[in-house]
Amino acid sequence: MNRVLAVAWREFVSTALTKGFIIGAVVVPLAFIAMIPVIVMLTMAAKGPQVEGEVALLDRSGVLVQAVERELSQEAIAQRRGDITQAMAEQMEQIGPLGTAGGAGSAASAESAMAAAMGQVPVFTVVPLPQDADIEAEKALLRPDAGDDKRLALAVIAPDAITKSEGAEAFGGFDLFVRSKLDDRIIEEIRSGMRTAILQERYQANGFSPDEIRRLTTVSTPRTTEVTAAGERSSTQELTAMLPFAFILLLMISAMVGGQYLLTTTVEEKSSRVVEVLLSAVSPMQLMTGKILGQMAVGFVLLFVYTGLGTGALAVFGLTDLIGPVKLVYLFVFFVLAYLMLASFMAAVGSAVNELREAQSLMGPVMIVVMLPYILWLPITRDPNSTLAVVLSLVPPMSPFAMVMRLTSTQADVIPTWQVLLSIGVSAIGAYLSIWAAAKVFRVGLLMFGKPPNFRTLIRWVRMA
Amino acid sequence: MTDAIVMRGVSKSFGQKQAVIDMNLTVPRGALYGFIGPNGAGKTTTIRMVMAILFPDAGQLSVLGRPSAVESKDRIGYLPEERGVYKKMKVGAFLRHMGRLKGVPGAGLDAKVRAWLERMDLADCERKRCEELSKGMQQKVQFISAVLHEPELLILDEPFSGLDPVNTRLLRDLIREQHAAGRTVIFSTHVMPQAEQICEHIVMINKGRKVLDASLPEIKARFDPHTLLVEPLDGSAEGVLAGVDGVRSVSRVDGALEVALEHGHDPHAAIRAIVDATPVSRIELRRPTLEDVFIEIVQGKATNGDEAALRAELRGEAEAVAAGEGER
Repeated sequence: MNRVLAVAWREFVSTALTKGFIIGAVVVPLAFIAMIPVIVMLTMAAKGPQVEGEVALLDRSGVLVQAVERELSQEAIAQRRGDITQAMAEQMEQIGPLGTAGGAGSAASAESAMAAAMGQVPVFTVVPLPQDADIEAEKALLRPDAGDDKRLALAVIAPDAITKSEGAEAFGGFDLFVRSKLDDRIIEEIRSGMRTAILQERYQANGFSPDEIRRLTTVSTPRTTEVTAAGERSSTQELTAMLPFAFILLLMISAMVGGQYLLTTTVEEKSSRVVEVLLSAVSPMQLMTGKILGQMAVGFVLLFVYTGLGTGALAVFGLTDLIGPVKLVYLFVFFVLAYLMLASFMAAVGSAVNELREAQSLMGPVMIVVMLPYILWLPITRDPNSTLAVVLSLVPPMSPFAMVMRLTSTQADVIPTWQVLLSIGVSAIGAYLSIWAAAKVFRVGLLMFGKPPNFRTLIRWVRMA
Repeated sequence: MTDAIVMRGVSKSFGQKQAVIDMNLTVPRGALYGFIGPNGAGKTTTIRMVMAILFPDAGQLSVLGRPSAVESKDRIGYLPEERGVYKKMKVGAFLRHMGRLKGVPGAGLDAKVRAWLERMDLADCERKRCEELSKGMQQKVQFISAVLHEPELLILDEPFSGLDPVNTRLLRDLIREQHAAGRTVIFSTHVMPQAEQICEHIVMINKGRKVLDASLPEIKARFDPHTLLVEPLDGSAEGVLAGVDGVRSVSRVDGALEVALEHGHDPHAAIRAIVDATPVSRIELRRPTLEDVFIEIVQGKATNGDEAALRAELRGEAEAVAAGEGER
């Protein structure tokens, strides 16, 4: 046992206590998290330059110049922006139960962030063109070589924009020509100004009051409230939908990183011929066990770091009840099972090949199988009790991934406990069998050099040993 | 006390190729044995079976009184032919790791590692990464890892390959020292003169079979000399010598003449006859080398014996050729 631990310790130290690992797996994610407030601050601080310029207007309907001038004025633009930020803030309140504690604050900060993102309100001067103006000549003014810096855009309103022409299905609209490299936010301002102007004019032409219309077409979007056993709470659908994805990603990354390192170190031991020296001291089984345990510790480090960060982030928003201790315990149990299956496979492949390159062809098919739940995450999380989800969660090696996905999806409490336990049992059997087979391949493969093996040779080795 | 190694009818084959055939072998405790034979003869396979890295297809085997080396790994030191180090590990850390794997108690492990590095003239390498060491230095590190736990049985597979003359001598002294300390030492080589210099007892293996198992003095006695080395004063004496009674053949080797006698002919009588026939500047009885013995044994059995090539290999010349081609 001491020997197994000595192997495991070396494996762990030579993997996890290297600069590369600490920087890549721990420092970078931490730095990334630390960067988020900085990024937000930078975005808020950034203000685009104020845009000033002319918008040429060829109004073929003949009645819209005034309305367009009104809607493209600075006040009108600022007001429309206010409308948008208002809507955004409402949307934000729905996403999380942020409205409860820091809600007002975050909504306000979202609003100001929004305002900042929009840049300062531009100043447009509307230049009405005579009806007989030459469109091509006006368009030419927008070209960069025209030498006219002030002209930003040319709007051409169709004659039937306000009054429908005889027998036509729909009203006419407008065409917008803009200078190249004009900020897309500015273009959007002009476009929405034009649209509003046309709509307002149409309402009036048909005898409606614009205010009345707005009242008629507005329904305040209600907040969704989940009714749970513990009482009512505001729904957090977007977040809960992301949760299984996050969990499965976590599981995958931790298991894969550990497995990948296991493959690398095994191939390295074999190609540097240190393996026979080791085998004079430990048995192949001890060596493999030690290596698997060592890399499992590496996987645990990752799992701890990322779950820690994740839970920390959720705690900041007061959402820890979304995961809860039971789900975390399941995550760790299924990590161990998923890792053991993946790692024993990696150990077998690593012992069989001579270089890392040769391992790729052997790993491909297995990776696809393991990735299956990942690819199917949408159907599984939408209906965690569908036949597909149940079957996947009971068939190793996908079972741990699929089960974690089911457990963390929205309706987690409806998954029968016997299925969870069965999944654990089946995965444990799968893990045991794969370790058993891997040990055989490992023993034969370690001292085999030469032609890279294929699946058939691996199976033959399992039978042989 | 039981023998260090006992093999009874041990065989091992890889697919079609029979690597070891019906091997019977007893190595007593405290002995210094040399396994010799050309490349691919089955030496390494035999050693790997002793080490329980490979398992025999048939036959019984006992190591230090146990049925398998697995149970006595801590009492065996092993320097494999295919040897390596963890490239990124520091030399000291590597040796401590190997020591722990070999069950050396933690207390005193550091001191032992340091003492051995000192002894091997590697004291300043403890903090270096293994990859910074030359191949010869790495080999010395590996030797330390084989003897660090003071094993009762030391098995060295081709320990001299790749060493310069200074380190070859150092290693030779160390092997003798281990032997003097009462340990059983077995080493394999395909370079016969090395075995001749160190071993007490020789086991010859060819094509998977043991062809000779005897002590060095025994071998010399059994293969009585029947070759004379003659340097005649007269350069054209070759024909004269061929006519002397009892001479089977005469061949020119390195400027001197090698005179092979007929089996059973008294060498002393032959010397007298040659001196009578032609004046010589030098005449001596050539002792059979292991190489000669091996060739004689192999040629009796093998048919495709290209003697010159075999001799070249057994002298270690083949190694130079192989090194030129670049090692695997």
